[in-house]
Amino acid sequence: MATQVKDVIIKPDAPSALLLEKHADYIAAYGSKKDDYEYTLSEYLRMSGIYWGLTVMDLMGQLPRMNRQEIIDFIRACQHECGGISASIGHDPHLLYTLSAVQILCLYDSVDAIDVDKVVEYVKGLQQENGSFAGDKWGEIDTRFSFCAVATLALLGKMDRINIDKAVEFVSSCMNFDGGFGCRPGSESHAGQIYCCTGFLALTGQLHLVNADLLGWWLCERQLLSGGLNGRPEKLPDVCYSWWVLASLKIIGRIHWIDKAKLRAFILACQDEETGGFADRPGDMVDPFHTLFGVAGLSLLGDERIKPVNPVLCMPEDVLQRIGLQVDLLS
Amino acid sequence: MHGRVKLKSTAQQEEEKRKERDKKLKIYVAARDACFSKRKEGVCDDEALQLTQQLLSSNPDFATLWNYRRDILMEMETVKDEDEVQKLYEAELSFLESCLKVNPKSYGSWHHRCWVSARLPRPDWARELSLCDRCLSLDDRNFHCWDYRRMIVKMSGVPVDRELAFTDRLIGSNFSNYSSWHYRSTLLPLLHPESPESPSPTREPPHPSAPPSPQTHSHRVCEEQLLKEYELVQNAFFTDPNDQSAWFYYRWLLGRAEREEMISCVYVSRNEERVAVAFSRPVNAQSVGLLLVLDGQPQSAEWRSVHPRFKHSPVWICDLPPGTISDITNEHNLTVHWAEKYTHRDCALYTGRTESWCRDSATDQELFRSELSVEKTSVLQSELQSCNQLLELEPLNKWCLLTIILLMRALDPLGYEKETLANFQTLKEVDSMRSAYYSDLCSKFMIENTILKMEYAEVRVFSITDKNLTTLCHLDQLLLVTHINLSSNQLQRLPPQFAMLQCLEVLEADNNSIENLEGLYHLPKLEEVLLKNNKISTLADLQPLASCPKLKCLDLRGNPVTQMANIESELAELLPSVSDLLL
Ligand SMILES: [Zn+2]
Repeated sequence: MATQVKDVIIKPDAPSALLLEKHADYIAAYGSKKDDYEYTLSEYLRMSGIYWGLTVMDLMGQLPRMNRQEIIDFIRACQHECGGISASIGHDPHLLYTLSAVQILCLYDSVDAIDVDKVVEYVKGLQQENGSFAGDKWGEIDTRFSFCAVATLALLGKMDRINIDKAVEFVSSCMNFDGGFGCRPGSESHAGQIYCCTGFLALTGQLHLVNADLLGWWLCERQLLSGGLNGRPEKLPDVCYSWWVLASLKIIGRIHWIDKAKLRAFILACQDEETGGFADRPGDMVDPFHTLFGVAGLSLLGDERIKPVNPVLCMPEDVLQRIGLQVDLLS
Repeated sequence: MHGRVKLKSTAQQEEEKRKERDKKLKIYVAARDACFSKRKEGVCDDEALQLTQQLLSSNPDFATLWNYRRDILMEMETVKDEDEVQKLYEAELSFLESCLKVNPKSYGSWHHRCWVSARLPRPDWARELSLCDRCLSLDDRNFHCWDYRRMIVKMSGVPVDRELAFTDRLIGSNFSNYSSWHYRSTLLPLLHPESPESPSPTREPPHPSAPPSPQTHSHRVCEEQLLKEYELVQNAFFTDPNDQSAWFYYRWLLGRAEREEMISCVYVSRNEERVAVAFSRPVNAQSVGLLLVLDGQPQSAEWRSVHPRFKHSPVWICDLPPGTISDITNEHNLTVHWAEKYTHRDCALYTGRTESWCRDSATDQELFRSELSVEKTSVLQSELQSCNQLLELEPLNKWCLLTIILLMRALDPLGYEKETLANFQTLKEVDSMRSAYYSDLCSKFMIENTILKMEYAEVRVFSITDKNLTTLCHLDQLLLVTHINLSSNQLQRLPPQFAMLQCLEVLEADNNSIENLEGLYHLPKLEEVLLKNNKISTLADLQPLASCPKLKCLDLRGNPVTQMANIESELAELLPSVSDLLL
């Protein structure tokens, strides 16, 4: 009953150089085919899609190629009476897209385009008695939403408006036997949730609650022979998980525990040489989501052609400096 | 998008696909717009249910449509009797089942099912549990389904032992199931909690009304059950020694109890008129209600952490107003109260003494060893034997090697030091991707061993040379150390935590790769710093030393910074107290 290690094989002819211009062209063209079926199907997450595209463009120094005014007008149109922001027009507001919208506005240095006080009220109103956050008025609870809440408020400089102690208590209660975190108390550890929870603890100044040595071990064991990282034991490697694991390791001061050169080779192999963009794994279809996390991952690995990225907020460091947000990490 | 392989296709195929997609797009957009306009008008009818159903079947992540359906269902509830409502929601569950079959990982579908289950007038929990069984039999790692199962278990009151039996069954059919081992780790402490008379190495039980901290939601399990678990895990890793799930679980079982939250040391220095307090875990002294009482008088002096980078730290400092305790002919009695934990520690500074401290002399059992009682160490011994047997069969198995290291530490950290170092060497070779992890872990263990040796010798000298140290840790335990020797290691920095060495007079760290001295920050007694052959390259790197008022001797030979022009005069300006400079 020997376990087969799930992994991919990187072909010798896989891309090994960073194709920045192609990626910029890919993202710049992505939003232009608005009548595309696939594009329409993903309308429910449009605001995050725009955040992925703009952030990766900014990291590559290409933000001016995007249509700033159109995007700001779109965000304004997506803010609802309750203060929350939706993924697109006609959709319901949600914390996920409220954060994406605020992130975009920070990239453009124009948070005043929306009613900031109302956003703060919206976020505050979603905090529950036990400190957790619902994603919207329908009450789904998830540590992802705890992260969205504090990240949104941190970017707006309004962290003190929620009950931070309670929020921290809830996230701490999601800590597991392996040092990782899940969606809710009792849920299995997962690299995406770990990213959210360590990011949350960084933003709230509570990283000392993390068992960094134990969690760091679990995280560095996500690296497979191909060099890529998976999100949980016995899963395939993936560019987006590579980002979540890598960022978490950076947050808890253990990024040197993985083999950086091998990870870099894996991420580069996930590029599409024809179309530009990154896929989840070598040979798969590219998308803006994996393109951002591929480029952001390379930035954390120290690629000097890319702007330094903040591991907690997945935004260029210079943007955070501009708004005066400093996030302490473990060292 | 995940797992979508890029396929090569001809121009004709492309064209056909494009036409097909355009057709689909038209249908989709028409249905979406119809939904949106109905919703805008507040319509809650069957047609709306059908339209949303059509769209959600192919796109279950369209969260707003689930919201619309909930609006409709709640509206319909108000005009129907209980049987009709029951039927309405049962139909919803059937629809959801078909959605989950197509896409078992949609957040939206699972959340909607939670919502429906909670509203159903007469819920059928057995049906929900069997749905989970079927779903997990297709993918035993689907965390959405696991979470849904946990919610159903909670709502329907399934007893914990039945859930534990469920994990027995899953693990029995396939050891390699991380999700099941994880679930076990949450169930065992509920079913077999660590008993109060268990041999946890704590001295005084915490005050009964002390509020639990986030970390004390205990993961600990009673000893008897622990021994049974060892057996189960051993079966698993003998069956498949390369399956990481069981090894992760095993490491958890071998973990030690968290140290009791307490004040571990109070130190007072007459010359600096300073009190330093060490805690068993990082705290924020400004928010936990720390109070210093001196000769019966509560002091209003402020607490500060040893380094501005730390809002939470295990060591805190309080500077007393000048003249408070400086007269050596006076005796003083101090008490530090930790209000939050209802605990305190006293310390007396006698006449003629320049310093004093009070602490528990920590034993290895408390600091760095397994929480098993002494009489059960025979069990650990036999665990070690089994692992050694396995290693004979699989000499390069990294999981087995690491576990052997951990077992040896639990048994006798000093006695097994040589074997431990050898095993780490093998580990770095067989799992080179993680060699930096193993180096740091080995450093940690060597530091622990050195602390133990220092404790046994009852000295204030900490010496760990030529041990390939790559990182420093446990520095809070070195609060009283006056002399530290870290020479001939691979250290790259003296981290901010180094500022916890409040009594340090001499630092030897020759022959490392140190380029950063951040931690040499406001060390009041530091006189001698030996940094021969390191990588200090700029004057800015030496800036922290300017905060150490008593620094007299500094050895920088063999550092790039010595090549700088005017280095001598620059240093004389930066560090005026240094009289003995070696460049
Ligand atoms: Zn992915």
